[in-house]
Amino acid sequence: MSDVATTSPAPRVFSAVLGSPALRLIVKRLLTAIPILLGVSILMFVLLNLIPGSAALQLLGPEATPEQIARLEHDMGLDRPPVERYLEWLWNALQGDLGRSLVSRQPVTDVLPTRLAVTGELVALAFLISLTVAIPLALLAARRPNRFLDRVSMVVSTAGLSVANYVLALLLVLLFAVKLGWFPAIGYTPVSKGLGDNLYSLALPAFAMAFPLLCFYTRFLRGDLVDQMQGEDYVMTARAKGLGPWQVLLRHAFRNSSFGLITIVGLNISGLIGATVIIESIFSLPGIGQYLLQGILTRDYIVVQAIVIIFAIITVLANLMADVLYAVLDPRIRYGTN
Amino acid sequence: MRIRAKACLLLAGALVVAGCTKPDETGDNNQAAVPQRGGELTVLLDSAFSGSWPSGLDPATNTTGGGNLTQMSSIYGGLFRLVADDDGKNAKVIPHQAAGYEFTDSGKTVKIKIKPGIKFTDGTALDAAAVVFNIKRDMEATCTCKPTWQLADQDPITAEGTDTVVLKFKQPNAAVINSFVVANVNWVVSPTALQSMGPDAFRIKPVGAGPFKVVSNALSSELVLERNPDYFVKDRPYLDKLTIRSIGGDQPAYQALQAGQGQVYEGMTTIPLLEQAKKNSQLVVTQQPATSPYVIQLNTKIPPFNDKRAREAIYYATNGEAIRQGLFKGAYPLSQSFTADGGLFHHPTVPGYRTYDLEKAKALVQQLGGLTVDLGTLKAYVADQVNTALQTQWEAAGIKTTIHSEQLNGLIQNFIGGKWQAMLQTAGAWDPAVGVGVGFRFSSGVPFSGVSDPTIDSLLQQAGQSTDPAQRDALYMQVGQRISDEAYAPFILAFAPASVVTKNVHGPGLTTLIPPVVVNTAILWDEVWMSQA
Repeated sequence: MSDVATTSPAPRVFSAVLGSPALRLIVKRLLTAIPILLGVSILMFVLLNLIPGSAALQLLGPEATPEQIARLEHDMGLDRPPVERYLEWLWNALQGDLGRSLVSRQPVTDVLPTRLAVTGELVALAFLISLTVAIPLALLAARRPNRFLDRVSMVVSTAGLSVANYVLALLLVLLFAVKLGWFPAIGYTPVSKGLGDNLYSLALPAFAMAFPLLCFYTRFLRGDLVDQMQGEDYVMTARAKGLGPWQVLLRHAFRNSSFGLITIVGLNISGLIGATVIIESIFSLPGIGQYLLQGILTRDYIVVQAIVIIFAIITVLANLMADVLYAVLDPRIRYGTN
Repeated sequence: MRIRAKACLLLAGALVVAGCTKPDETGDNNQAAVPQRGGELTVLLDSAFSGSWPSGLDPATNTTGGGNLTQMSSIYGGLFRLVADDDGKNAKVIPHQAAGYEFTDSGKTVKIKIKPGIKFTDGTALDAAAVVFNIKRDMEATCTCKPTWQLADQDPITAEGTDTVVLKFKQPNAAVINSFVVANVNWVVSPTALQSMGPDAFRIKPVGAGPFKVVSNALSSELVLERNPDYFVKDRPYLDKLTIRSIGGDQPAYQALQAGQGQVYEGMTTIPLLEQAKKNSQLVVTQQPATSPYVIQLNTKIPPFNDKRAREAIYYATNGEAIRQGLFKGAYPLSQSFTADGGLFHHPTVPGYRTYDLEKAKALVQQLGGLTVDLGTLKAYVADQVNTALQTQWEAAGIKTTIHSEQLNGLIQNFIGGKWQAMLQTAGAWDPAVGVGVGFRFSSGVPFSGVSDPTIDSLLQQAGQSTDPAQRDALYMQVGQRISDEAYAPFILAFAPASVVTKNVHGPGLTTLIPPVVVNTAILWDEVWMSQA
């Protein structure tokens, strides 16, 4: 019974899935990612090799003799032709081996997971905070443009956009760690020691990263919502159908405006990962940003290359996710009609 | 990172104005109090220097060992160590894991006795064989923190029995014992642990015979150490746990200390923060004695400084006192030579030294028909400030000056290229014959020297070989005199970083003075304690 019941619909489902425009989109994007990742890796390798000096020179410092530098370069394999080194790295990377750090000799794949977990959590929290605050605030501001709440939110947003996150980080520490003692100034507590302690340790760095985003998203979304509410025909139609202002705002205008927000959030991912380099340094967090900084300072191209590739993959996936979300929100994309 | 560092430092001033603490009297750590056992202490180290240990903590492969004194001495202790009176006077190198030493063969051989019964934390013995194994391995290392000894060709490093190490040199080596405290040979690893773990694993979780042993090590991020219960010094160390954490500069570190997330910060250099920390009743600032003055190196091998008049113009145009007062609030003494008050063989003045005289500078520039100078330095907050001040002063004398600061790689390329004209650097060391001593800046044939003078070469060689301190003192005075007479390089002031600790922390090198051996002071971590109240 079961054979008959399960075998006949399966090919249809399979065929429907394969024929889905959304899946085609995902596959297409994933295939496009291959040359992008390859290009990023080549570009990074060339740039790292063009920078004057080498990991050996950087590590040995100004007292090093040319013989010492040459010997360490030999030990690190830096005396081999760049193309040979790149191809070897690429071949190993394709098999999941991102190499050993030139400086510490640790396998990069051993170090990345723990550091990636810290940075991933930090970035996720920053997005969560920024979107959780920005969306309601923008909706409230757009509901009554140029009224008190709208003006206050615009002033705060402008101020927030004017302050770099590392400045904000130091000010947050000064106020909430030094003066009030509410949060720790530095350090990271892993989730294994309790989720509460973990979130507590990341509160200030996550907020320092989230605040400029929050301000930007609020301004962006508020502006788009106001445009939609004031100038679009579908809004007039919805109103004519007797929908209340909140219903029009939430069901229609917000849905349309969220396209722009999703695009911006997708694009912000890479920038936010870059911001972790500074924030992790200030808050003494053992994340990937700190690891990248060390890699750059020591000219450890294996480490830098691995992290940049990881960043590139995350960026590609984030943008892919944004595309999928478009499809979820817009039936025209979902059914391949547009 | 430079942008971040700059931003943090610029912020420092603003935050000072914002008033992080109420003005109060300086804290007193009451050195007379009785040390107490126990306590967990977090040390913050600048990620740009001492808080960076990217290549691990094996003395033979740690290429930043000179900056990682705290990490290394906590794990390994040391054969020798530098101690001083509480006020930093009478600094001397004394045996620690070594029991003593003696020179023979007119200073060409030194025999070092090792204290009996010392064990590594893996239970194996720290004996002469282990030390010989380590020194041989360290001398083969690519680290610049290995000593620059001229070892004898035949059997230079051997063991006599189980407790004596014999080192043989080509020439008498008067500074050999002093050189231990600035070199990787001071830190002895367990050969058994190294062989069983392999070098790659060992550099992450090394095994020594120091006051603490490694619990976990995230490179350049966090090192967690716990008390070594079998440490060879009875009832030491005082602390139960030591956590060493890398942090992004003076400002975040200062705030972390205030928030209670750290108890010690080594190597603070930001003057406004130091001023503020001194007024904070919860913190104690200890300004260590300086050993390495700032020097304006002049490249005497190429124009314009192959002309003595151009060099003299720089001497007369440089107002060290204005820099001292303006940038350093008068905190550090002016220098006329390569020594400073925290180091050996120091003399504050050199007879005939050319001091600031704007009119003489202008006259010399006129004689030369104009003078254009390119002045560089290593990119660092204090050095950039000094260079900007120098540019202004020299322009006042009619010297057209361009300034630039470089990352380490760029700076090295500049030196090796030999086309540089003037460089602001530091010169000298606690003992001028060891580490980045005077030869590094003034010997012929060294790529980082702007001078090629056989007289100086000969004097430095004699000073390095003499076992008579009085004779060494006289020879170094002659070197200082020669540099001054020939106007090879004007000195500005001797600058040293400070340690900032919370009021309940006490210990030699933290709340007492010990001259820095490389840049920071080598703190005696087994003697550091915390008041529990």
